[in-house]
Amino acid sequence: MTEIFDLAIIGAGPGGMSAALQAAEFGASVVVLDRKATPGGQIYRDVTQSPLLDPSVLGVEYTEGAELVNAFLEADIDRHQNADVWHIGENGEVLYSQDNQTHRLVARELIISPGAMERPFPIAGWHLPGVMTAGSAQVMLKSDGMVKDGAIFAGTGPLLYLIVAQYLRLGVTVNAVVDTTPAGGVGRALQHLGGALSKPAYLIKGLKLLNEIRKAGVPVFRHASELSVLGESKAVGLQFKQDGRTHSVNADHIFLHQGVIPNLNMTRALGMDHHWSEQQLCWTPTLDDWGQSSIPHIAVVGDAAGIQGAEAARHAGRLAALQVMHKLGKMDKADLKSMSVNHLKAMNSFKAFRRFLDAYYAPPTQQRIPTQNSTLVCRCEEQTVGQLRAGFEQGAKDPNALKALTRCGMGPCQGRQCGHTVSELLADWQSKPVSEVGYYRLRSPQKLLSIEELSHFQEVQPAPKPAEVSA
Amino acid sequence: MNFDALIIGGGIHGSATAYHLANAGIKALVLEKDYVGRHASGVNAGGVRLLGRDLAEVPLSKEAMTRWQTLDQELDTDTGFRRRSLINIAIDDADMGKISSRINQLAELGYDHEVQINQQELRERLPHVAPNCVGGVVSEQDGYAIPYKATSAYRLAAERAGVVFHEGESVQSLRQIGDNWQVKTDKATYDAGILINCSGAWADKTAVLMGDNVPLSHSAPMLMITTRMPHFAGPVVGAISRQLSFKQFENGTVLIGGGAKGFADRDNNRTTLDYKKLALAAETTKTFFPIMKKAVINRMWAGLEAYMPDNLPVIGAGVNARNAYHAFGFSAHGFQLGPVVGDVITQLITTGKTSFDLNSFRIDRFERKVL
Ligand SMILES: Cc1cc2nc3c(=O)[nH]c(=O)nc-3n(C[C@H](O)[C@H](O)[C@H](O)COP(=O)(O)OP(=O)(O)OC[C@H]3O[C@@H](n4cnc5c(N)ncnc54)[C@H](O)[C@@H]3O)c2cc1C
Ligand SMILES: Cc1cc2nc3c(=O)[nH]c(=O)nc-3n(C[C@H](O)[C@H](O)[C@H](O)COP(=O)(O)OP(=O)(O)OC[C@H]3O[C@@H](n4cnc5c(N)ncnc54)[C@H](O)[C@@H]3O)c2cc1C
Repeated sequence: MTEIFDLAIIGAGPGGMSAALQAAEFGASVVVLDRKATPGGQIYRDVTQSPLLDPSVLGVEYTEGAELVNAFLEADIDRHQNADVWHIGENGEVLYSQDNQTHRLVARELIISPGAMERPFPIAGWHLPGVMTAGSAQVMLKSDGMVKDGAIFAGTGPLLYLIVAQYLRLGVTVNAVVDTTPAGGVGRALQHLGGALSKPAYLIKGLKLLNEIRKAGVPVFRHASELSVLGESKAVGLQFKQDGRTHSVNADHIFLHQGVIPNLNMTRALGMDHHWSEQQLCWTPTLDDWGQSSIPHIAVVGDAAGIQGAEAARHAGRLAALQVMHKLGKMDKADLKSMSVNHLKAMNSFKAFRRFLDAYYAPPTQQRIPTQNSTLVCRCEEQTVGQLRAGFEQGAKDPNALKALTRCGMGPCQGRQCGHTVSELLADWQSKPVSEVGYYRLRSPQKLLSIEELSHFQEVQPAPKPAEVSA
Repeated sequence: MNFDALIIGGGIHGSATAYHLANAGIKALVLEKDYVGRHASGVNAGGVRLLGRDLAEVPLSKEAMTRWQTLDQELDTDTGFRRRSLINIAIDDADMGKISSRINQLAELGYDHEVQINQQELRERLPHVAPNCVGGVVSEQDGYAIPYKATSAYRLAAERAGVVFHEGESVQSLRQIGDNWQVKTDKATYDAGILINCSGAWADKTAVLMGDNVPLSHSAPMLMITTRMPHFAGPVVGAISRQLSFKQFENGTVLIGGGAKGFADRDNNRTTLDYKKLALAAETTKTFFPIMKKAVINRMWAGLEAYMPDNLPVIGAGVNARNAYHAFGFSAHGFQLGPVVGDVITQLITTGKTSFDLNSFRIDRFERKVL
């Protein structure tokens, strides 16, 4: 017998946990599935059981999460950790792996909050051992208390500075920060200054971070361009230009980061409508103010709905849950309106603030759309810009056609890493807007699934039948 | 715009037909509503299989198989074709009996391409097969190709010969005016002497526009592919009485088919998978090849394919209009026929006849009066 829930939520980050708490307050039957061992999501990863002696070095925005996580743990919610969702059906069916078994549940409504991923950073040598994303470095830090001395942090965006600061507070040495934020950021962002000023605390936090880094005496190279990782079989340093001069800095570890983008695995596999956000330079599911997607019973919240940060994710989670409660008949329209109003206001001010951040930290074209033929785009199938261009010239003008011809995006990550690069490359080569070029068709399973596990997924005994005519 | 021939559908059959027409000096335009190879022709299992063909199809399939062996040279592009042989496995004596009687039947018709193998030879060719399998049947020329590459290879060769492809353009209406066809798409109007329906899963709709009515259905056969595995299977693998079908590519990935079908929504170019049936395919695969227990699935998908009630295609002239031809309804085994059908259609157009018996493939072989 399959259990039927009022609401299933995928992801126990700030978005998912807040949605669950809101729905639980209405007495709805709620189940939350998350692939990690503990709730918290990307930002509050392991906050209630940190391996660090003093987790407060990670910042108040981290430790503050404990309150939300504890509330979530105490509420009347069905929680499944280590539950990796690999398929969502349009009929509300959720298939997930737990302990190497496929499980199935059904829900009337779904809210998905699978978070963000880091934007690909396709430069020469980014595939070499020793290079990883700054986010991965942070994951090691949060979950295992592991750090690397003498690394270079390169790229742009608030998260980059946060991670550098977290490193420095732990007394870890950092060889250099190579900042690719183009000059004139203030000018670009000025028209959104109103939005920035609406969140003075955030601005101050940001400035404090930069100050911390400066004070620690780490060399900071601002407005760097033309980055490439040095090394043959492993990274030995980073080369870049600044003020027309070429620099190179040695390091065994290079942490790249140029912002985060929505994690599209699930929303794309569901076939939801998406659009290209010129503001954030990424694909984003098309949603209403409550996070409702183009699929009637599925809402998307948190960073997967467009990058807004953890606090906005909490409001978005509550908003989506409120609308679901209305749909399930647990409250009338007037109550929905009155209970939503503050969250909607908050969302608007986060959006305004984001416009400022997005303008200031826009990842430069040069670091998003590689031009050198030798630069690797698809790391799984080792496809370079040159090989993709050849496929394009043979007629593959669409990401899926290019995939079928070159195998770019067919490896174990199924294009989750190269997807944005491929859309932007194809758009650039055709002088078309990215929105016209489209994105890969994604499919289940949304994670690697063993034949052994899948083979057990059946309530009925296989009845041996003669083979049908098929090739 | 004027063309000698206009082909509706840029799958392998539309592209190959265009290629053969161009070689015969006929100027062709291919109209494709999405992009070339977007549907069945680009996403199928790549099986190039003569083994087990319906007797009516054997002559065409044999000819196609001969052409596949040298197709890369002919088209001067990589189709990904690899000759690997195909073995259908027998798990009991009843299966072996079926193999013998099939081989006898083929022999009476003068064919010897299917050869029975015993348990020992099966194990030599497929060392990882489950010990309870008792033998099988092999066809040596069979193998696989890479679907999108093969379809693109035809497209590129056709373009070099002067064919024009319009992608993202969908045929909306057809009118025969005298001996000519007027073709309206969502973007333009064309005049063409000859019209060829290669519209795959949508071919019944196109046929109706041409005046022919056909009991075509469509469905969504499903596939799954694994991450790279150590090499363990050279031949392509099938079974006599089970839904087993897989092949290991050179890069180590294993493609698993088996005929299971999902749900098709052709109006939206969409398919939905039926995971219970895929689970069954996983179960069958690991029962026949225990080594596959360790395999890891990377992606599962389905394609939109056209089916006829007797699982045989429609190939030949239209019956209710002049200068009209059809090639569709390949019922999950049309990829292998790619190299022959377009040539046959071209022969019909240029000479009015072909050496193949197309009687089994007539569009009006089923009584169908109601539109
Ligand atoms: C690498 C990285 C590091 C970041 N670090 C910070 C930071 O330090 N500070 C900060 O302010 N912001 C950080 N961010 C941004 C931050 O993630 C968000 O603003 C915030 O966590 C968004 O909340 P969310 O609920 O949308 O997603 P998340 O907090 O990311 O939660 C999503 C949850 O969904 C789960 N999930 C995803 N897919 C599945 C699936 N198929 N099955 C089951 N579970 C699934 C994930 O395991 C995760 O727990 C980071 C982002 C990234 C990508
Ligand atoms: C999953 C799967 C596995 C398979 N495995 C094998 C195998 O291993 N071996 C084998 O031999 N065969 C296999 N097949 C079958 C094989 O793929 C098909 O028989 C073959 O590709 C059919 O080719 P086609 O050109 O007729 O059709 P398609 O490739 O479907 O092309 C028809 C084209 O017509 C276009 N079209 C339709 N209507 C219009 C219109 N009005 N205007 C413009 N364009 C239009 C469509 O967009 C489409 O691109 C498989 C099929 C599938 C789906």
